[in-house]
Amino acid sequence: MRRFSNPFLYLFVLLFLYFVLITSMGELLWGTVPPNELHWTEKLFFGLCHQLPDRTYTIDGAMMAVNTRCFGIFLGMAAGWTFIPYAIRFTAGKRWPILILLAAVLLQIVDYLGNLVEFWQNTNHSRTLLGVLFGAALSISVSDLFLTRNKNNS
Amino acid sequence: MEDEQAMDKAPDSISIGDMLPSATVVGLIFSIITFAISLAVGYYEISSEPSGSLFSASTISGSIICLVSLLGGVLAVWHFVKEVSPYIKLGQGAALGFLTGAVMVILSAVYGEIWSFIDPDYTDKLVEATIANFEAMEMPDAQKDAMIDSVAGSVRQQSSFVSQVLWGIPVSGILNLLTGMVGVKIFAKKEDEETF
Repeated sequence: MRRFSNPFLYLFVLLFLYFVLITSMGELLWGTVPPNELHWTEKLFFGLCHQLPDRTYTIDGAMMAVNTRCFGIFLGMAAGWTFIPYAIRFTAGKRWPILILLAAVLLQIVDYLGNLVEFWQNTNHSRTLLGVLFGAALSISVSDLFLTRNKNNS
Repeated sequence: MEDEQAMDKAPDSISIGDMLPSATVVGLIFSIITFAISLAVGYYEISSEPSGSLFSASTISGSIICLVSLLGGVLAVWHFVKEVSPYIKLGQGAALGFLTGAVMVILSAVYGEIWSFIDPDYTDKLVEATIANFEAMEMPDAQKDAMIDSVAGSVRQQSSFVSQVLWGIPVSGILNLLTGMVGVKIFAKKEDEETF
């Protein structure tokens, strides 16, 4: 018999991931500050993201708190986590989620290095897209851990 | 005999004390690595001529540090499985990942404080080098000014110990919480009520 385990952990992480996602919107959602001041949302991500304005979505001078790749990762993680209860039936006992995660990590590295040595030039949208893929793969890769089967009832 | 049976399944309650050695060992190693990288790159930037490139050494090291930091949760679970118990539940792995992220943030802030005594001018010199690099970039002045304000402001305002710890733990913790779960999936042994 299969059942969804750790529902509170699932909900806790889900809420936290959405908190991270909406705070990563920075000035787009939480109001602007003068240019020489650090927005409170930028403080949250300071150690994790280089926050270069050139690589960050900006609308009418209001800037996100993280760069486009990080935003994509957070968006992908939140979306992937949301769909865990549905994805679980396709991931249980399968190796493909881990393979997709490895492929997503590899893509990030290849994209980063290719841009660094000027083989190609990535854009804000392409970085976001690859970030979404990596974030979603990360969430989905642990989905089957939320499914348990009691041996006595199987 | 009883001990052997007890080892065949995950303990129902693993205290923070049980997790702390793994979180501390991994957090200590990773924070030393990331701090050493950031210092080495910082001094490299201070001593070198501004290149005017968006891909400065610190941008590259920032990405490496970010990736290395995320591995903390996975490796803390690996250490726990190897040294404490081969069985660890999903929630316990998540907690261990969060703890590891918190330890890394705290230790990195401590190293920063220590370094500010060793070289009190380090932050100012780094900000000046960063501004010089931005000024050498070929881009519109308004965009250049925005980048200078943003980066210089970030470094100066985020340099206090309390600020680094309070703002650093939540996000670093939650990301390592996730990678701690990945660690459970990769390294933990399955128990009676198996996860598949």
